[in-house]
Amino acid sequence: MTPLSTLPPAPTQEQQSRRAVGRALAGGLAALAVAPALAGGVAQAAEAKKAPRKWHRCKVHKKHTCWHATTCKHRKHKPPKDDGGKDPKGPDDPGTPPPPQVPGSYDGPAVVDGLPTALALHVGSRFTYGVTPALVAEMAAYPSLQAWIDAQLQPAALPDPAGDALEGWWPALSWDAPRMWAEEQARNGAAWEAMSDYQRWCLLRRITSRRQLFEAVTELFEDHLHVPVHDDGVFGFRVDYGRTIRAHALGRFDDMLVATTTHPAMGISLDNATSTKKAPNENLGRELLELHTVGRGHYTEDDVKASARILTGYRVTTWSTWRVYYDPASHWTGPVTVMGFSDQNAAADGRPVTEAYLRYLAHHRGTAERLARKLAVRFVSDDPSPALVQHLADVYQQAQTAIVPVLRALLESEEFRGSAGLKVRTPSDDIVATWRALAVQPSAPGTDDAAANAILWQTVALGQAPFDWARPDGQPQDGAAWSSVSRVLASFDSHYSMCGGWWPKGSLTYRPLASWVPLSGTDTMRFDALVEHLSRQLLSRSASARLQEACGLATGLSASTKISLKSDLVKWNMPTLLTTVLDNPEHMTR
Amino acid sequence: MEIPTPTEGHSCCEEFARASGATRRGFLRGVGALGGAAAVTAVHGTAFTETAYAAAPVDRVLVVLSMRGACDGLSLVVPHGDPTYYLARPGIAVPKDRLLGADSFFGLHPALAPLMPWWTAGQMAAVHATGLPAPNRSHFSAMEELEDADPGSSARVGWLNRLVGRNGTGSPIEAIQFGGGVPVTALAGPEPVLVADDVDSVSLSGYWDAGSEAKRRSSLNRLWTGVPGPLGAGARNAFAVVDDFAPVRGSSPTPAGGATYPRYSDLGAALAAAARTIRADVGAEIITVDHGSWDHHTWIGSPDSGNLRTMADEFAACLAAFLTDLGTLASKVTIVTVSEFGRRVKENASQGLDHGYGNVMFLLGAGVRGGRYYGTWPGLQNTVDADLLVTTDYRSVLAEVVTQRFGASSAAVFPGFSPTSVGVVQPG
Repeated sequence: MTPLSTLPPAPTQEQQSRRAVGRALAGGLAALAVAPALAGGVAQAAEAKKAPRKWHRCKVHKKHTCWHATTCKHRKHKPPKDDGGKDPKGPDDPGTPPPPQVPGSYDGPAVVDGLPTALALHVGSRFTYGVTPALVAEMAAYPSLQAWIDAQLQPAALPDPAGDALEGWWPALSWDAPRMWAEEQARNGAAWEAMSDYQRWCLLRRITSRRQLFEAVTELFEDHLHVPVHDDGVFGFRVDYGRTIRAHALGRFDDMLVATTTHPAMGISLDNATSTKKAPNENLGRELLELHTVGRGHYTEDDVKASARILTGYRVTTWSTWRVYYDPASHWTGPVTVMGFSDQNAAADGRPVTEAYLRYLAHHRGTAERLARKLAVRFVSDDPSPALVQHLADVYQQAQTAIVPVLRALLESEEFRGSAGLKVRTPSDDIVATWRALAVQPSAPGTDDAAANAILWQTVALGQAPFDWARPDGQPQDGAAWSSVSRVLASFDSHYSMCGGWWPKGSLTYRPLASWVPLSGTDTMRFDALVEHLSRQLLSRSASARLQEACGLATGLSASTKISLKSDLVKWNMPTLLTTVLDNPEHMTR
Repeated sequence: MEIPTPTEGHSCCEEFARASGATRRGFLRGVGALGGAAAVTAVHGTAFTETAYAAAPVDRVLVVLSMRGACDGLSLVVPHGDPTYYLARPGIAVPKDRLLGADSFFGLHPALAPLMPWWTAGQMAAVHATGLPAPNRSHFSAMEELEDADPGSSARVGWLNRLVGRNGTGSPIEAIQFGGGVPVTALAGPEPVLVADDVDSVSLSGYWDAGSEAKRRSSLNRLWTGVPGPLGAGARNAFAVVDDFAPVRGSSPTPAGGATYPRYSDLGAALAAAARTIRADVGAEIITVDHGSWDHHTWIGSPDSGNLRTMADEFAACLAAFLTDLGTLASKVTIVTVSEFGRRVKENASQGLDHGYGNVMFLLGAGVRGGRYYGTWPGLQNTVDADLLVTTDYRSVLAEVVTQRFGASSAAVFPGFSPTSVGVVQPG
């Protein structure tokens, strides 16, 4: 890790804003990221200390500034000649020009003339489940975009009546493990339904909760520390597991890792709950290293064995009492070494060594880089630059694994500002964003047909029900994974079905179709003005030429066609027009 | 006029194409290629040039079944002739007298009984001690490595994408993944492929007659033409394939030959869709399906119950139904199974098996010299972390399939690899 002392000098008074620091960090660390063969954080830090602090700015990559006088590859970059000489390829520049930075300011207002600034739209698209007129109005109530972000980063202080209202919708969410088991034995399938209810609760929270950023970050960590909801035997603990992640999602990762690794849901899912000292089950010991923390390349097979030995002792009496306990008699004792962690592990109670081990892993550079990359892939782009990942990993380690500083650094990075629209909306996010865009109002579900229940089948139809990825690595976050032919066609189908108000239908109030047309009486408006209005309502942005043309093609109307409430379009073809707006890349990406 | 319901059909699409004087398949491609204002002209019936060619019917089909989660090959094809097998697995070994199709050394798990007609008819074989050139105990990285099958390259192109690319017409319908939703690594690459949950999902909704369909298509083409990134490609693939797939959608969903797939089985549903697709003869040459999870860290169980038995039952019942469903069409279909790695020799505390190395591959159907076991047995060790070693690189088995059955170049599909002869697939 890079000590703060080696970072660039503090900016002058007038530059002193968080963003300026963020940029300097990103620029400086780009050089570290390309140190020969990634020789390890310590070596890089030492090298940084020795190098004379002489700044230079790359003549090709204008954003690159650093103080590495002799080792920086950017030193060799010459500006491209006018005769079309090849653009030298820097390590963080694959040769294509970087996408434009979205205009707008964090310190300025988020909303201008009723529409979010480009930056506010971008931030909203990434850290909420869909920018809507309601969200825009909420953002406008803050003095600046930054103030809205700051409020989102402290969700406990945000009143959330809509999110709170969901608490009583699914009674099974309050069942403990023995109750769940009793219900399942009384009625086969009750536990499966309880897990479905949990998935629904998560989806509805994403739609209705005011704590949008919190929901998004929670989802990311619940995918990262993935326990499939329908994994064998986890049903009694899975809701509590999700709440455990919620408790730490904007806290510290080391606390989260201790709480989740020793949680009975994780223990059951990855077999630690039945592991013993005689023949430790390696499943959790391995995935903890490979998936939850440092990742491949940092550990050996002997480390996996020691990892599994440390974790022995956390037991659950499965399929009977579901008692959760620590069993010293099951704990493997004797010296253990995993990477740089060693302990005599002499005591039968292995909990202290387990916690020390998990905290060691949480603070490890490998974990920092894995989490940094994961956050960047979810919130920036499918292929974040090594410089950004290194920078976020530095922030993570300096912040003692606290997550909020990493999110702030991510938001402050130029790479984030250059990534608008680059992410594919995942299928379940598409469903959630469609509910939000159409401003449908669900009520408490009574039957399976109720929309708050049927939403789960919507996500199943698109191939991505929440936390249902069968493998322990959690669902993919990249666009290629969610761009299959059947996903695209199923998205179109779900948009159309909801734009017409056909399905889901039960316990759900759709806006009257005519209400999408801002006319009364015998007033008229041009068709292109209606498309502009719908684009602002559904996409929170002005209609693109592409959307205008597509809407014309979909309806057979020309831009200048006069629309009134008596038009055929309003009487029977609004679903087609609305779905055209939602079938648009601007709705299906974020 | 009534508000149209979204469930109304696709049949009018063909009607419209005929009425407009265009071929079904040329219609959308023409629109897609021209886009914008030109598309308006096209949907009103002006002639246009077909810009891509649909896949031609094929006489060879490869079905790759991936046993996700690393199945235990030592339970599925038991080396009863190796005494270490029984010493290492006191709680979970399959007794010799329960094995099917046994020879002097190997025998099949009793759960594979539904497949015995094909085994005895010489249409099913097993190759043991196969796997990656070096151990890789990470599910995710081993799958990537196995399906990428090009260790020297950082390009993310899977072996099936290279196979379909050898003579591809560029139609996404030539290589299909049924189920899973997320494309597998084996199919990743420049050749467009079709990833679909099922047959019915390959259809476009949002119209109710020929006129509204034409408008719907032209507006979608306008929205997605030129859109960069994976979703743009996915949308354009969807437009290209939705018509080509009409014969499959229009075919009977009832399996042929009285075949019955297990209920609630993703593998069964995927294989049923595969059989329907093959029968409709729309040019699908490669079909992949997944079956998981075989990650049995706990309770492998006895020959009659347990995690492995449950999975093996489903595996065998689905494959038997698929072969029955195919009937005489099975003479053009070769099935091969892969799994990312095998499991340890020795059982763990949970009567399960942790991550190991060597594994078994099954081959069924056309061209398979079946009814016997292939491979070189390395011998087992009974230590805590002993693996079944790999004596046959899995690519040698796959290379034999693609060269003998598909006339492909092994060097093109498995770059930098020199296969050794296994003898399990005959030419022709």
